[in-house]
Amino acid sequence: MSFESKLSSLKKYFVEEQLIKPNRKVYVFKSSDIKYLFKELIDNFGFDNLYVSTIVGTDLLKEGLIRLDYYVVFLPEEVTVVFRTFISRENPVIDSLIDIIPGVLSGECETHDLLGVVFKGNPYLKRGFFVPKDIVDSKEYPLRKDSKV
Amino acid sequence: MKEIAVEKQYVTGLAKIIRYSPWLVHFNTGACNGCDIEVLAAITPLYDPERFGVKLAPSIRHGDILVVTGAVTKKAGERLKRLYEQMPNPKFVIAVGACAIDGGVFNKAYSVLSGADKVVPVDIYIPGCPPRPEAILDGIVKLLSKLK
Repeated sequence: MSFESKLSSLKKYFVEEQLIKPNRKVYVFKSSDIKYLFKELIDNFGFDNLYVSTIVGTDLLKEGLIRLDYYVVFLPEEVTVVFRTFISRENPVIDSLIDIIPGVLSGECETHDLLGVVFKGNPYLKRGFFVPKDIVDSKEYPLRKDSKV
Repeated sequence: MKEIAVEKQYVTGLAKIIRYSPWLVHFNTGACNGCDIEVLAAITPLYDPERFGVKLAPSIRHGDILVVTGAVTKKAGERLKRLYEQMPNPKFVIAVGACAIDGGVFNKAYSVLSGADKVVPVDIYIPGCPPRPEAILDGIVKLLSKLK
Protein backbone atom coordinates (compact mmCIF):
# COMPACT_ATOMS: atom_id res chain seq x y z
CA MET A 1 0.00 0.00 0.00
CA SER A 2 1.35 3.39 -0.95
CA PHE A 3 1.99 6.24 1.43
CA GLU A 4 -0.99 8.27 0.16
CA SER A 5 -3.44 5.41 0.38
CA LYS A 6 -2.31 4.63 3.94
CA LEU A 7 -2.99 8.24 4.89
CA SER A 8 -6.28 8.42 3.05
CA SER A 9 -7.60 5.52 5.12
CA LEU A 10 -7.52 7.98 8.07
CA LYS A 11 -9.78 10.42 6.26
CA LYS A 12 -12.57 9.98 8.79
CA TYR A 13 -10.57 11.95 11.37
CA PHE A 14 -9.76 14.90 9.12
CA VAL A 15 -11.97 17.97 9.19
CA GLU A 16 -9.98 19.86 6.58
CA GLU A 17 -7.01 19.42 4.27
CA GLN A 18 -4.62 22.29 3.50
CA LEU A 19 -1.36 22.87 1.69
CA ILE A 20 0.82 25.49 3.37
CA LYS A 21 3.66 25.09 0.88
CA PRO A 22 4.53 22.60 -1.82
CA ASN A 23 5.08 19.15 -0.30
CA ARG A 24 3.80 20.24 3.13
CA LYS A 25 0.31 18.90 3.74
CA VAL A 26 -1.74 19.94 6.73
CA TYR A 27 -4.57 17.81 8.10
CA VAL A 28 -6.88 19.42 10.62
CA PHE A 29 -8.49 17.07 13.13
CA LYS A 30 -10.71 17.35 16.21
CA SER A 31 -8.69 17.59 19.42
CA SER A 32 -10.76 14.86 21.09
CA ASP A 33 -9.69 12.39 18.36
CA ILE A 34 -5.95 12.79 18.88
CA LYS A 35 -5.36 9.44 20.61
CA TYR A 36 -7.39 7.45 18.06
CA LEU A 37 -5.70 9.24 15.17
CA PHE A 38 -2.15 8.52 16.34
CA LYS A 39 -2.99 4.96 17.36
CA GLU A 40 -4.33 4.31 13.87
CA LEU A 41 -1.30 6.05 12.33
CA ILE A 42 0.96 3.64 14.20
CA ASP A 43 -1.21 0.67 13.19
CA ASN A 44 -1.16 1.72 9.52
CA PHE A 45 2.47 2.76 9.15
CA GLY A 46 4.20 0.79 11.90
CA PHE A 47 5.79 2.16 15.07
CA ASP A 48 9.28 2.36 13.53
CA ASN A 49 8.16 4.25 10.43
CA LEU A 50 7.09 7.56 11.94
CA TYR A 51 8.14 10.02 14.57
CA VAL A 52 6.80 13.28 15.96
CA SER A 53 9.60 15.71 15.21
CA THR A 54 8.08 18.67 17.02
CA ILE A 55 4.92 20.13 18.49
CA VAL A 56 4.31 23.79 17.66
CA GLY A 57 1.81 25.73 19.72
CA THR A 58 0.48 29.10 18.57
CA ASP A 59 -1.69 31.43 20.60
CA LEU A 60 -4.58 32.83 18.55
CA LEU A 61 -5.74 35.63 20.82
CA LYS A 62 -8.56 37.00 18.60
CA GLU A 63 -10.13 33.61 17.99
CA GLY A 64 -9.67 32.55 21.63
CA LEU A 65 -7.92 29.37 20.51
CA ILE A 66 -4.55 27.70 20.77
CA ARG A 67 -3.38 25.98 17.58
CA LEU A 68 -1.32 22.83 17.99
CA ASP A 69 0.71 21.51 15.05
CA TYR A 70 2.13 18.01 15.32
CA TYR A 71 4.93 17.66 12.77
CA VAL A 72 5.11 13.97 11.92
CA VAL A 73 7.88 12.57 9.74
CA PHE A 74 7.19 9.34 7.87
CA LEU A 75 10.03 6.95 7.06
CA PRO A 76 11.59 5.81 4.80
CA GLU A 77 9.97 8.43 2.52
CA GLU A 78 11.09 11.23 4.89
CA VAL A 79 7.86 13.07 4.23
CA THR A 80 6.80 15.63 6.82
CA VAL A 81 3.07 15.96 7.41
CA VAL A 82 1.43 18.41 9.79
CA PHE A 83 -1.50 17.30 11.92
CA ARG A 84 -3.24 20.41 13.20
CA THR A 85 -5.81 20.85 15.92
CA PHE A 86 -7.36 23.71 17.88
CA ILE A 87 -8.11 23.83 21.59
CA SER A 88 -9.77 26.53 23.65
CA ARG A 89 -7.56 29.20 25.14
CA GLU A 90 -9.39 29.34 28.48
CA ASN A 91 -9.20 25.60 29.09
CA PRO A 92 -6.28 24.30 27.01
CA VAL A 93 -6.47 20.58 27.68
CA ILE A 94 -5.61 17.79 25.23
CA ASP A 95 -4.76 14.11 25.66
CA SER A 96 -1.07 13.31 25.95
CA LEU A 97 0.59 11.00 23.43
CA ILE A 98 3.40 10.02 25.76
CA ASP A 99 2.07 6.53 26.39
CA ILE A 100 2.01 5.64 22.69
CA ILE A 101 4.88 7.84 21.37
CA PRO A 102 7.53 8.48 24.07
CA GLY A 103 9.36 10.92 21.78
CA VAL A 104 6.76 13.63 22.32
CA LEU A 105 8.12 14.29 25.84
CA SER A 106 10.17 17.37 24.98
CA GLY A 107 7.51 18.81 22.67
CA GLU A 108 4.75 18.44 25.24
CA CYS A 109 6.90 19.78 28.10
CA GLU A 110 7.92 22.79 26.00
CA THR A 111 4.38 23.62 24.91
CA HIS A 112 3.16 23.28 28.49
CA ASP A 113 5.94 25.55 29.77
CA LEU A 114 5.58 28.30 27.17
CA LEU A 115 1.82 28.26 26.44
CA GLY A 116 0.20 26.52 29.39
CA VAL A 117 -1.32 23.68 27.38
CA VAL A 118 -2.13 20.75 29.68
CA PHE A 119 -1.38 17.36 28.15
CA LYS A 120 -3.66 15.06 30.12
CA GLY A 121 -1.84 11.87 31.13
CA ASN A 122 1.75 13.15 30.89
CA PRO A 123 3.28 12.67 34.36
CA TYR A 124 6.42 14.67 33.54
CA LEU A 125 4.77 18.04 32.91
CA LYS A 126 6.17 20.81 35.07
CA ARG A 127 6.84 24.51 34.78
CA GLY A 128 10.48 25.57 34.52
CA PHE A 129 11.43 23.15 31.74
CA PHE A 130 12.76 26.10 29.68
CA VAL A 131 11.34 29.16 31.41
CA PRO A 132 13.41 30.74 34.23
CA LYS A 133 12.15 30.54 37.77
CA ASP A 134 11.03 34.16 38.19
CA ILE A 135 8.68 33.85 35.20
CA VAL A 136 7.34 30.57 36.60
CA ASP A 137 6.67 32.25 39.95
CA SER A 138 4.79 35.10 38.27
CA LYS A 139 2.64 32.45 36.49
CA GLU A 140 3.31 34.00 33.05
CA TYR A 141 3.25 31.96 29.85
CA PRO A 142 5.79 33.72 27.59
CA LEU A 143 4.37 32.62 24.22
CA ARG A 144 0.85 33.81 25.01
CA LYS A 145 0.09 36.96 23.07
CA ASP A 146 -1.18 38.85 26.12
CA SER A 147 1.91 37.96 28.17
CA LYS A 148 3.76 40.97 29.50
CA VAL A 149 7.23 39.42 29.73
CA MET B 1 38.08 45.76 49.97
CA LYS B 2 41.32 44.71 51.61
CA GLU B 3 40.55 41.06 51.01
CA ILE B 4 39.95 41.65 47.31
CA ALA B 5 43.23 43.53 46.96
CA VAL B 6 45.13 40.66 48.58
CA GLU B 7 43.45 38.17 46.31
CA LYS B 8 44.25 40.20 43.19
CA GLN B 9 47.90 40.32 44.17
CA TYR B 10 47.93 36.59 44.68
CA VAL B 11 46.34 36.15 41.28
CA THR B 12 48.83 38.34 39.44
CA GLY B 13 51.74 36.65 41.18
CA LEU B 14 50.69 33.23 39.92
CA ALA B 15 49.40 34.54 36.62
CA LYS B 16 52.93 34.91 35.28
CA ILE B 17 53.18 31.12 35.19
CA ILE B 18 50.13 30.59 33.00
CA ARG B 19 51.04 33.19 30.40
CA TYR B 20 53.37 30.69 28.71
CA SER B 21 50.65 28.11 28.20
CA PRO B 22 47.08 29.11 28.97
CA TRP B 23 44.54 26.30 28.74
CA LEU B 24 41.15 27.23 27.38
CA VAL B 25 37.70 26.04 28.29
CA HIS B 26 34.90 26.96 25.92
CA PHE B 27 31.39 27.37 27.31
CA ASN B 28 28.30 28.21 25.28
CA THR B 29 25.68 29.95 27.42
CA GLY B 30 23.06 30.11 24.68
CA ALA B 31 24.83 31.22 21.51
CA CYS B 32 23.47 30.75 18.00
CA ASN B 33 26.61 28.70 17.21
CA GLY B 34 28.17 31.50 15.15
CA CYS B 35 30.72 32.45 17.79
CA ASP B 36 31.32 28.79 18.68
CA ILE B 37 32.34 28.01 15.12
CA GLU B 38 34.73 30.98 15.12
CA VAL B 39 36.22 29.86 18.45
CA LEU B 40 36.73 26.39 16.98
CA ALA B 41 38.27 27.95 13.86
CA ALA B 42 40.66 29.95 16.04
CA ILE B 43 42.15 26.77 17.51
CA THR B 44 42.77 25.09 14.15
CA PRO B 45 46.31 24.74 12.71
CA LEU B 46 45.50 27.50 10.21
CA TYR B 47 45.67 30.06 13.02
CA ASP B 48 48.13 27.92 15.02
CA PRO B 49 47.28 28.94 18.58
CA GLU B 50 49.98 26.66 19.98
CA ARG B 51 52.61 29.27 19.11
CA PHE B 52 51.15 31.11 22.11
CA GLY B 53 50.92 27.90 24.10
CA VAL B 54 47.13 27.95 23.83
CA LYS B 55 45.62 24.52 24.32
CA LEU B 56 42.21 23.14 25.22
CA ALA B 57 41.78 21.95 28.79
CA PRO B 58 40.31 18.45 29.16
CA SER B 59 38.30 19.58 32.18
CA ILE B 60 37.16 22.88 33.67
CA ARG B 61 39.33 22.06 36.71
CA HIS B 62 42.44 22.28 34.53
CA GLY B 63 41.34 25.46 32.77
CA ASP B 64 43.01 28.87 32.98
CA ILE B 65 40.81 30.86 30.62
CA LEU B 66 37.04 30.47 30.28
CA VAL B 67 35.82 31.47 26.81
CA VAL B 68 32.16 32.43 27.08
CA THR B 69 29.98 32.72 23.96
CA GLY B 70 26.33 33.64 23.70
CA ALA B 71 23.83 35.67 25.67
CA VAL B 72 23.82 34.43 29.26
CA THR B 73 20.35 33.10 29.95
CA LYS B 74 19.10 32.98 33.52
CA LYS B 75 19.43 29.20 33.54
CA ALA B 76 22.89 29.12 31.93
CA GLY B 77 24.03 31.86 34.34
CA GLU B 78 23.85 29.46 37.28
CA ARG B 79 25.94 26.91 35.36
CA LEU B 80 28.44 29.56 34.29
CA LYS B 81 28.96 30.62 37.88
CA ARG B 82 29.41 27.01 38.98
CA LEU B 83 31.98 26.41 36.23
CA TYR B 84 33.89 29.56 37.15
CA GLU B 85 34.02 28.53 40.80
CA GLN B 86 35.51 25.15 39.83
CA MET B 87 38.45 26.72 37.99
CA PRO B 88 41.78 26.92 39.85
CA ASN B 89 43.32 30.33 40.57
CA PRO B 90 44.53 32.29 38.66
CA LYS B 91 41.56 32.31 36.28
CA PHE B 92 40.38 34.61 33.54
CA VAL B 93 37.23 35.02 31.50
CA ILE B 94 36.95 36.12 27.87
CA ALA B 95 33.56 37.20 26.52
CA VAL B 96 33.40 36.42 22.79
CA GLY B 97 30.81 38.13 20.60
CA ALA B 98 28.15 40.80 20.99
CA CYS B 99 25.83 38.52 22.97
CA ALA B 100 28.40 37.59 25.61
CA ILE B 101 29.31 41.27 26.03
CA ASP B 102 25.86 42.70 26.79
CA GLY B 103 23.24 40.28 25.49
CA GLY B 104 23.34 41.64 21.94
CA VAL B 105 19.92 41.45 20.29
CA PHE B 106 18.67 39.44 23.28
CA ASN B 107 19.37 42.29 25.69
CA LYS B 108 16.36 42.79 28.04
CA ALA B 109 14.67 39.56 26.92
CA TYR B 110 12.72 37.92 29.74
CA SER B 111 14.97 34.88 30.01
CA VAL B 112 18.34 36.59 29.57
CA LEU B 113 20.73 38.19 32.07
CA SER B 114 22.52 40.08 29.26
CA GLY B 115 26.31 40.00 29.47
CA ALA B 116 28.61 37.41 30.99
CA ASP B 117 29.92 40.10 33.35
CA LYS B 118 26.59 39.99 35.21
CA VAL B 119 27.67 36.59 36.57
CA VAL B 120 31.47 36.33 36.44
CA PRO B 121 34.25 38.96 36.23
CA VAL B 122 35.25 39.35 32.57
CA ASP B 123 38.84 40.29 31.67
CA ILE B 124 38.65 40.70 27.90
CA TYR B 125 35.69 41.54 25.65
CA ILE B 126 35.91 40.56 21.99
CA PRO B 127 33.23 42.36 19.93
CA GLY B 128 31.78 41.07 16.70
CA CYS B 129 28.84 39.08 15.46
CA PRO B 130 30.66 36.77 15.22
CA PRO B 131 34.24 37.98 15.75
CA ARG B 132 36.87 36.65 13.37
CA PRO B 133 39.21 33.91 14.63
CA GLU B 134 42.13 36.36 14.41
CA ALA B 135 40.24 38.70 16.75
CA ILE B 136 39.66 35.90 19.26
CA LEU B 137 43.34 34.91 19.24
CA ASP B 138 44.32 38.56 19.46
CA GLY B 139 42.13 38.91 22.54
CA ILE B 140 43.79 35.93 24.19
CA VAL B 141 47.26 37.29 23.39
CA LYS B 142 46.28 40.74 24.71
CA LEU B 143 45.16 39.11 27.95
CA LEU B 144 48.47 37.24 28.22
CA SER B 145 50.49 40.39 27.61
CA LYS B 146 48.52 42.07 30.43
CA LEU B 147 49.91 39.46 32.81
CA LYS B 148 53.54 40.41 32.29
